[in-house]
Amino acid sequence: MESSDEEDVVKYRVHLRPITLRNAAPATLHFLPCEIPVNRPAPVERFFTPAIRQGPRGLEVSFRGRSLRGEEVEVPPSLVGYVMRMEEKGEVSGKQDFPEGSEDEEEQELLEPPEALERDFDRFMGASASFSRFTVWGLETIPGPDAKVRAALTWPSLAAAIHAPVQED
Amino acid sequence: MAGRGDCGDGAGARQHVFLLPEYLKDASKKMKSGLMFVKLVNPCLGEGALYLFNMCPQQLFEIKVFKEKHHSWFINQSVQSGGLLHLATPMDPLFLLLYYLQKADKEGKFQPLDQVVVDDVFPDCILLLKLPELEKLLQHVTEEKVNPEIDKKKYYKYSKEKTLKWLEKKVNQTMAALKTNHINVGARVQSSAFFSSHQVSSDKEEDYICYAHGLISDYIPKELSDDLAKHLKLPEPSASMPNPPTKKVKLSDEPVEAKEDYTKFNTKDLKTEKKNSKMTAAQKALAKVDKSGMKSGSTKTEKEQVTADPHKAWLLLMSLKTLPEGSGFFFCVLENHQMPKDVHIC
Amino acid sequence: MDLSELERDNTGRCRLNSPVPAVCRKAPCALGVDEAGRGPVLGPMVYAICYCPLSRLTDLEALKVADSKTLSESERDRLFAKMEEDGDFVGWALDVLSPNLISTSMLGRVKYNLNSMSHDTAAGLVQYALDQGVKVAQVFVDTVGLPETYQKRLQQCFPDIEVTVTAKADALYPVVSAASICAKVARDQVVKNWQFVEKLQDLDIDYGSGYPNDPKTKAWLRKHVEPIFGFPQFVRFSWRTAQSILEKEAEVVTWEDSPTEEDQVGHGKITSYFNEGHRTRPRLPHRYFQERSLESATTL
Repeated sequence: MESSDEEDVVKYRVHLRPITLRNAAPATLHFLPCEIPVNRPAPVERFFTPAIRQGPRGLEVSFRGRSLRGEEVEVPPSLVGYVMRMEEKGEVSGKQDFPEGSEDEEEQELLEPPEALERDFDRFMGASASFSRFTVWGLETIPGPDAKVRAALTWPSLAAAIHAPVQED
Repeated sequence: MAGRGDCGDGAGARQHVFLLPEYLKDASKKMKSGLMFVKLVNPCLGEGALYLFNMCPQQLFEIKVFKEKHHSWFINQSVQSGGLLHLATPMDPLFLLLYYLQKADKEGKFQPLDQVVVDDVFPDCILLLKLPELEKLLQHVTEEKVNPEIDKKKYYKYSKEKTLKWLEKKVNQTMAALKTNHINVGARVQSSAFFSSHQVSSDKEEDYICYAHGLISDYIPKELSDDLAKHLKLPEPSASMPNPPTKKVKLSDEPVEAKEDYTKFNTKDLKTEKKNSKMTAAQKALAKVDKSGMKSGSTKTEKEQVTADPHKAWLLLMSLKTLPEGSGFFFCVLENHQMPKDVHIC
Repeated sequence: MDLSELERDNTGRCRLNSPVPAVCRKAPCALGVDEAGRGPVLGPMVYAICYCPLSRLTDLEALKVADSKTLSESERDRLFAKMEEDGDFVGWALDVLSPNLISTSMLGRVKYNLNSMSHDTAAGLVQYALDQGVKVAQVFVDTVGLPETYQKRLQQCFPDIEVTVTAKADALYPVVSAASICAKVARDQVVKNWQFVEKLQDLDIDYGSGYPNDPKTKAWLRKHVEPIFGFPQFVRFSWRTAQSILEKEAEVVTWEDSPTEEDQVGHGKITSYFNEGHRTRPRLPHRYFQERSLESATTL
């Protein structure tokens, strides 16, 4: 696999291009109950999407001859889902980093020492898509409220409480 | 598979699925004051962990990743292996500062913060020094001195007493959130199919405080966690390590309504049973039953059931002897499934 | 035969039937059961029943119905049309089991094998006739698996009916021959008009007989294998032929119930986990995180 990505944060700072967070187009995501050991284009729209049926107890589809049951899960409030990609090293160009026609204020900022932009040292990531819900599929059974991935989505609200500043005496 | 890997497939770039706070979308319009992933210390383990840092306004986010075997993503017209889901949530930076303050305290003297927060392994820790309201934060965990003759610089020294007070507040606010979020904090649930319906109501104050202490302990070194436990007067932890969670644990954060109230005969006994970390023979048998058969009833499509055999159902009466005293009977109906081994049929 | 319902959605199963002749609700009837498309790796399996009053069996025989396998497609179509003309004393019903239903049942966590599926479907159709008010007195079935167990099973379901399960019933009993014609006509029509659920490009519909040993069928499977999705739902994924092509030409997909090496060599994994735990288990995240499969990210 792409072990280089994993080393990136140790060796480099990985910058997330903020503008991509605002411009990311909505994406359709399916969370599957099986391991498919590759990262590559796949004809989801031709094979998978048209086979989805709304059954009496949620969504139904089959994949590789196995029956899946699914349901849509919302991204928790005040969060947004993003699909991010690491840019290839050569992909970085000066122009691309900044929105076109940036305001004067921003130009000013650029004149300051580019501390965060040590090119050899840094890598860049951008959001390629955004989402506000995704479909969780279970093998033969609806994932339901007990699905671990659903439970994991409750973390941000608890984290907010843990990490909120304490009340002063 | 043979003869075709994903290596060399130019389009096979990894995609990372993230949930980020919505406000980040607007917060950072400029590149320089942008967002970056940095490696900083995990204050609990002393190892490295990934964080997200917002430069303007300065803010620290921790990143948890949902990681379970046998998952993948379809993302638009592509497949992404691994099925990881990253969640970035704001983190109190004081947990990280505390890690360095405690470490520096071994020298026993007041020091300026820039001499405390230094790390050869994670040099990006200096980002923490730029955080707003740093002085106000540090008051919770340090004694401070100012030397007016030389400079106006502040010097800090770790204060265990103040820290424990601060952590106690953290535990309290966590406890409150556990309650409002209906988190099941009771002793480990063995099998959701049998023990879930009364779980929520039976959680006690002590369970909440232990649970909250455990969560906070994930952000502080072990020694401090032990001190905090003493400070909170928590009962000594039992000798046995908590077991890894059973495969299926009731996780709903909503109170669960029992579908059929077959627990009312044995609620009392099950409560005491929970305390016992060892499974009785009967529980083992039931756990086995649950794993091998309970799910199967719902696997068939309804259409199939139209013509399927009249349901073959096993009614299992667990022998009284194998259950804790006074538990009454367990009924377990397994649809269209073979009789499980190891279960005694009366 | 109106198969439009199936053409709208061919991912599950579909039952079709003729009107019940009034006479079949009054006079004791013989009912035959047969199937078509049990063996092929492509397309649905069709179960059919055909029934008529015992007193009219000679009229059914007069149509010269025979085992569908001995008839040409046009002869079968002609005979089916004749049976439709004789709708005043001959009735039929079908159950079409889509290849998707066959795949997902056979590959389910709880395996539902083809014999059980066949037996259940046959019994379901007989029950259906009874529910429609047909006075079923005798049932004749072409066997699937051992005739003795099948017979016993059906007889248990229908204690008041005389059940005969035998090999070659489709050649011996005209009601079974008639059922075999219904099933075969339906299967041929479904396969010919198969509405692919998938939006396929360059679809080649020259898939031969659909039997695994037909070179045309094999070539079609190889041509239409997709590395991620495998095959269209028209293919029975549970067939060995399909599986072995997937093994060679598609990505290996692993499910939580996929057999692992540990499963094959006993429970080595569990013991090693605990042994490891005593020595070098690191400080585990809080149970809140373990129960949610959450951990602190260390890499991107």
